[in-house]
Amino acid sequence: MSAGTSSREESTDDTGPPPSPAITPAAAPGRASRRQRATLAAYGFLAPNLVLLGVFLFLPLAWAFLISFQESNGFGASGWVGLDNYRRLVTDPTFWRSALNTATFTLLTVPLSLALGLGLAVLMNSVLPGRRLFRTLIYLPMVISGVATALMGVLLFDEATGIINKLLRGGGLAGIPWQSQGSAAFASIILVTLWIRVGFNMVIYLAGLQGISPELYEAARLEGATSWQQFRYLTVPLVGPSTFFLLIMDVIYSFQIFDTIFVMTGGGPGRSTSVLVTYAYENGFVTRDQSYAAAIGIVIFLLTLSFTAIQWRGNRSRDTVG
Amino acid sequence: MTISRRQILGGAGFLAAAAALNGCSGFSGGGNSDSGEGGDNTLTFTTWGSPAEEEGFKRGIAAFEGANSGVKVELNLVPYEQIFQNIDAQLQAGTAPDLFRVDYGTIGAYSSQDQLLDLSSYFDTAAGEEFLPAMWQAVQFDDKPYGVPHQTDTSALVYRTDLFEQAGITSVPDSLDSAWTWDEFRQVAEQLRGSLPDDLYPFVYNWQLGGSTRWLSWLFQAGGRLFNDDLTGSAIESDAGTKALSFTQGFFTDGLVPPSSSVKSSTYADGAFSAGTTAMAFVGNFVLPSLDEAVTDFEWSATYLPRDERGACDLGGNALVATKNARNPDLAADFLKFMTQPEQMSDFCARAMELPTLNSLVGTKLDYQTRPDIAGIFVEQATTLEPGDVEQLTAPAMATINPKLRDELEAAFTQGQPVGKTLANIAAAVDGAAG
Repeated sequence: MSAGTSSREESTDDTGPPPSPAITPAAAPGRASRRQRATLAAYGFLAPNLVLLGVFLFLPLAWAFLISFQESNGFGASGWVGLDNYRRLVTDPTFWRSALNTATFTLLTVPLSLALGLGLAVLMNSVLPGRRLFRTLIYLPMVISGVATALMGVLLFDEATGIINKLLRGGGLAGIPWQSQGSAAFASIILVTLWIRVGFNMVIYLAGLQGISPELYEAARLEGATSWQQFRYLTVPLVGPSTFFLLIMDVIYSFQIFDTIFVMTGGGPGRSTSVLVTYAYENGFVTRDQSYAAAIGIVIFLLTLSFTAIQWRGNRSRDTVG
Repeated sequence: MTISRRQILGGAGFLAAAAALNGCSGFSGGGNSDSGEGGDNTLTFTTWGSPAEEEGFKRGIAAFEGANSGVKVELNLVPYEQIFQNIDAQLQAGTAPDLFRVDYGTIGAYSSQDQLLDLSSYFDTAAGEEFLPAMWQAVQFDDKPYGVPHQTDTSALVYRTDLFEQAGITSVPDSLDSAWTWDEFRQVAEQLRGSLPDDLYPFVYNWQLGGSTRWLSWLFQAGGRLFNDDLTGSAIESDAGTKALSFTQGFFTDGLVPPSSSVKSSTYADGAFSAGTTAMAFVGNFVLPSLDEAVTDFEWSATYLPRDERGACDLGGNALVATKNARNPDLAADFLKFMTQPEQMSDFCARAMELPTLNSLVGTKLDYQTRPDIAGIFVEQATTLEPGDVEQLTAPAMATINPKLRDELEAAFTQGQPVGKTLANIAAAVDGAAG
């Protein structure tokens, strides 16, 4: 999460005009030399990030790719098995169940967290008493460790001793089987995820909203547009770049969901909340079959990459709107 | 002061190098690399532990350092939930600690993969005979010891006296011989079910969060086995296997346990008991200190586990092991010997409410610090563990079988998976791992 957050923050910083080196008319050799120096300077600034990315991202990724073609003996990989781990994936019902759960989780959490984030951003952008406090409170789960927020989720959703069921029983209602019934367990994971996620979406949307000129709304009001029409035909299109950015980040986040599920349900009951990352973890660190876990990891990577590429191609123009 | 672009770039490069080096240092376990700190007179020891265990380890280490001038033992305490992931990564990176603590069910995963120090030359036959035979067997692989049994623990049944009285249960077994039969236990559970409100349950079993092998106690009690006699395949598809699984599946279908207390539950059994949501709980003796502290609003006591064809219990507890590449194997072996001396072991076990593994301590009365009135029940219960049970519970294949066992039990308990199919799936997992 933290790595993802920092990369997002870097991206949001990139909203200002691109730095344009002051090019002054000069003789061709001088210009070339200047350009070379500028290029060198650019690489100099990029180098620290490139080194870190290379060592801690691309190298492990390539390593995982290699391991996925080998077999595990419990401590490291040994022996080349070609595509066996990938063939095993195709016939593994738990993998397919986990993939289906991951897709369902993504389809439910991404639109909901986008919609709630935008709704809250609009609210927090308006004249609301104590809005700074509310903004902080909504963003707070994002800055707490994922495991800690999941443990809070356990306090809320524990079937026997959780706060929610106690309140329900106190009100004369039946408790909800948050841990023993698949769909309720899945719902509890989604609710906690939204609680964690909405704050980040709200902040990004808030930044987008504050970049919209108030004159546009004034003009719309003069034309007789209702609040809903202003929201639908002004706000939603003008926060398009934010939506595009958040869509990609939220989908990546949802594909990589782990800590919340690991702490709250352990993938159960049955396999009802098992997702690809928890299944990879089980294989890699519980069964110690690291090659099979690496193969699952590569599948997650390829799925995420494909989705991002499709989004990138399909939404390229939106990046320039607003 | 003007800072030139060259200076900025130089500074950025330096920071990047520093960050990269810092990142690399994050992989080190402070363990047995040649350049590790402390030299040959320092041992690194990684363990998890309750506060009482932590205190016990610190006292043992202080005594060892006192007895060996110039020697230092660096204690590294990590949460149980992540210790083996850390150890695995450190073993693969060559930065593992010299010593670590491991449960009997996991030791085979390390000894069979040649990751541990062979202690044959440090513990001869006579030294091995000082330990309880079942516990000494638990640390063997290929007839060689790869660790020392430091302590053991097992489960017994704790119960709320107020809810028992309310349900009219007046007789509770007070000896191993008079332990409830399965039928009697079931009758008690049903009697409680009839007297308790819907949101309170008769009992909760401690098979959550990696404890799924505790289900095997039921299998053993029914006279069944998980493995065949030579541990090369499964033996669970039997009348005993069917009986044990049907009986335990009935806990869920008949509402005798909380529906959320299956093997994938994220909360432990003792938590449900101390929260007052169950009348009985199967718990290990090591939770007695925390239970004693947490339960303030009702009286509770303990009795023996139910029995069927025979009595049986789970193999809890842990061994201490040295890694194969320990910097100073002789010193590491000395530490293992020291920590399993009667004086050290009795102090540790009494403090942490655990059971000793030395023959010489079994008959003695340890100075248990918490609930000494019920500690003896756990000590007696541990005697129902047979060498054949230990042999199966510590088989190297168990590391692979455990997750499958957990999945299948979960499917049977919460998803209604039929008994026959569940046993067949467990048998396939055993055959695949042991064959």
